[in-house]
Amino acid sequence: MSVKSTVPPAASPVRQMRYLKPFRQRVGEALSSYTARVLLQGLFTVFAVMTFTFFLVRLMPGNPVDIKIDQLMQTQGLTYEQARSQAAGLFDMDLNAPVGQQYLTYVQRVLRGDLGKSILSAGTPVADIIWRFLPWTLFSVGLGLLVSFALGVLIGAAMAYWRGGILDNVMTAVASILYSIPEYIIALLIILVAGVQLQLFQVGELRGGFNPDVAPGFTLEFIGSILKHATLPVITYVLATIGGWILAMKSSTISTLGEDYITVAKARGLSERRVLTAYVGRNALLPLVTRLSVSIGLVVGGSVIVEELFQYPGLGRQLLRAINGRDYTVMQGIFLIIAISVVASTIIADLMLGWLDPRVRVGQKATKG
Amino acid sequence: MKRLLAVLLVLTILVGVLPAAAQDGPTGTFLGTWPYVLPPNHHFNGFATGGPGDNLGAVYRSLVELTPAFYMWADGKYEPLLAESWGFTDDNKAYFITLNPEAKWSNGTPVTSDDVIATYALGRIMGWSQFTYINDVVKVDDHTVNFVFSGEPSLLAERLLLKEYIVSNETYGELAQEALDLIASGAASDSEEWTALRTKITEFRPEQYLATGPYTYTLDDVNDAYLTLKWQPNSLFSDKVKFGEIRLWAGETETTAPLILSGELAHSTNVYPASSVEAFEAQGIRMITLPRGYGVALLMNHDVYPFNIKEVRQAMAHAINREENAFITAGFGAEAPKYMGGIYALTETLLNQEDIDALNPYEYDLDKAAALMEQAGFTRNADGKWVDAEGKTISVEYKFPSEFVDFSGAAQNATEQLNSFGFDISLRGMQPFGEVVTAIRSGDFQLSVWSYGAASPFASRHFFGPVQRFNYPETVKIDPNFKGMNFPMEFEYNGEQIDLNTMINEASTGLDVEAQKERAGVVARIINDLLPFIPLNDLIGIEPVNEELLGGAPADGDPILANPAGSGDHYVIWGILQGTMFPQGAAAEMMSGS
Repeated sequence: MSVKSTVPPAASPVRQMRYLKPFRQRVGEALSSYTARVLLQGLFTVFAVMTFTFFLVRLMPGNPVDIKIDQLMQTQGLTYEQARSQAAGLFDMDLNAPVGQQYLTYVQRVLRGDLGKSILSAGTPVADIIWRFLPWTLFSVGLGLLVSFALGVLIGAAMAYWRGGILDNVMTAVASILYSIPEYIIALLIILVAGVQLQLFQVGELRGGFNPDVAPGFTLEFIGSILKHATLPVITYVLATIGGWILAMKSSTISTLGEDYITVAKARGLSERRVLTAYVGRNALLPLVTRLSVSIGLVVGGSVIVEELFQYPGLGRQLLRAINGRDYTVMQGIFLIIAISVVASTIIADLMLGWLDPRVRVGQKATKG
Repeated sequence: MKRLLAVLLVLTILVGVLPAAAQDGPTGTFLGTWPYVLPPNHHFNGFATGGPGDNLGAVYRSLVELTPAFYMWADGKYEPLLAESWGFTDDNKAYFITLNPEAKWSNGTPVTSDDVIATYALGRIMGWSQFTYINDVVKVDDHTVNFVFSGEPSLLAERLLLKEYIVSNETYGELAQEALDLIASGAASDSEEWTALRTKITEFRPEQYLATGPYTYTLDDVNDAYLTLKWQPNSLFSDKVKFGEIRLWAGETETTAPLILSGELAHSTNVYPASSVEAFEAQGIRMITLPRGYGVALLMNHDVYPFNIKEVRQAMAHAINREENAFITAGFGAEAPKYMGGIYALTETLLNQEDIDALNPYEYDLDKAAALMEQAGFTRNADGKWVDAEGKTISVEYKFPSEFVDFSGAAQNATEQLNSFGFDISLRGMQPFGEVVTAIRSGDFQLSVWSYGAASPFASRHFFGPVQRFNYPETVKIDPNFKGMNFPMEFEYNGEQIDLNTMINEASTGLDVEAQKERAGVVARIINDLLPFIPLNDLIGIEPVNEELLGGAPADGDPILANPAGSGDHYVIWGILQGTMFPQGAAAEMMSGS
């Protein structure tokens, strides 16, 4: 009676090579594909930023323990040794661990999805802090960016199309002025002029993310409160960034209008609307997509000073607090999230460019070929 | 009639059976401000960063957690808060505190000695400074505790004990027991067990904030814009206070100034620049002035030539017009230092008149300054700059924290004045302020600026900064990164070998106030002569009070305004607890949810 073996016969080296070859080919092809390359580059960038920020924050003068030591010496009259001993107990931080060891621990934790605990607020996970404040920043800065981009593109295109007209002249001046004013100045002007002087709104009433007297929940009242409280930060972001979009779109549209294919399209008797949308608008928009993608990535970082001035509960305000207090772990966590979002949005922009502009796809194929 | 009796009976039963309904508390809101942090960083653990100390500061924490007593600076007396009586035991070997037997926590349970024992058990693990003076805390009875001195009895220890916040044994009991067990085991404070327990304590997150004061709050009361402390009925002061709640707007100076101008903030402890103060006054906001307890000083690295020469330092003191410096620094929020002996102006009671009279006032006198420079071997070159025998000018860098309006103003003005006198100083603004602290501590500076004096009724605390705070003749032997000002603390002075460090430490020891004054006088004279640093101006708190929203603020000249700003003896604490301050106008109608 023959027993059929369940163990597969050992493959000969030649057969192994035969199996391996297509695998290697597949990996090689995958690696040489544009998408994989972009993804790998993205991963490398995130890792590099993570490493860079880890060491950079530690190179900053002062650390939370030193600041606390000084505070304790001043307020409680402790000697340096007493203050150092007391401060060490207040923070989730090993004063004596070598930086290399701290880095390895950090990388291991990050790979496990653990961003560590706050140094300033011992025991509070960094991830909790990020998830608590990130949605507010995404909402306010993201909304501001989208409104600013949409309006900027429309106004910029119109200015270029009716170049030399009243709209162009007036808006060029307005956009240039807005572009040159830092956003915190705009925020201060809104508060002091519109709020305090003109009393168009109660300064305190619009602070924070929502009205504390409204119970959080999926209700019209709560959503309305959120929108109301986001108004001032969003207006600030829009005013601070729209000038850039307007001027960029105007410049891009003017250069597109001078292209031969526009002249040909017009000569072919295409309607003005079709020329504007399908030919001018789409092509003029392309250079702005990369800029938009980077801006989308930077949304996560929020706007530090604007959030502070409006007491908006965003990530930027937390970043400011972390930097001032040298809360290394929170700084690292927020920088990591910013890096990931910038890299991810850049990747998406790269892929979108291929979709928007067939020449990019052709270029990729030609490179491969 | 029967029906009426039946109704009355039912009503009586209902009143007796139904749980005590929420007691009618006062209404109206105190509108203040404090830069608290938001959850998840915000918590109720008083032994960790991100807890009540950070979120409420000394002023508002005192309305939730009562300290045993409140100090009146004008007459140097303590007034009772949580304690009923206190003092040194007959043999002076301990200090006793007897709690008010009527005191209750916000959940209705009585405050007892066990709470004090628990507080200090954890405090010992956390390295509290009280244990510099005491080595044991003993329960005498349910309401009395003895703090046993490890050495001489001390008035400084008394202040530390009477001004400490007492936490609840119900909340911290388990940790406190672990602490007591660890202490009883004889473990050293640098042992692994000690460190582990310290970490455990800092990571503890109480679910509720039990209060002895008339206000408390939950995490639901902390929102992005403001934090609300709500009245609770069980405190010793619940019946006295006139505010139903305390609303603390989030933010620092730059974010709270618009709220004052828009009439939404009644009082602020923040420091505002002169331009903001003018704008407040133009709107009819009253500005209350009170001491801040500290001033701004020019610090020099004594390892850097020529700041190691006494005559050069004295010349610098004469060459700076401190009146001008004070005005440039903070307008009416600063004044020229009266004494140049390392003691802030408010503490005239700390020195004998004889010593005060002996202090050199270093009046603004460029001729005296020039004579001292010449005495030190310097001459003026063709450019009017001072040069030494080798022709070297005094070219140095002055590091200052650019985010602090007062410090940077003082540094810039001092530099301007010294340069016009013949120095060659370049300014370097740094941010955040921690960079400057680090630079001074590590001795990586030539000239810098920081505070001197202290909001303390003890001379040794005034002398502490910066001569001890930023000067580490002992520590540098352990950690070479800590050089500080490099001012020698052991040297020969008037033919006598002295140890300035010990002299400062001992300036406020013991119970004999007159002896303390004498010792402090000797130190003040030495500091006045050697000038290890140069006081530039004394800061004064100028706090905006909107009297349309807040009534009962002390009148100008009221003795309570001798209590320093930003301290646990602030007049707002007393005014609210005693019910002398009350809501007015819109604030009287204001309550959360209404």
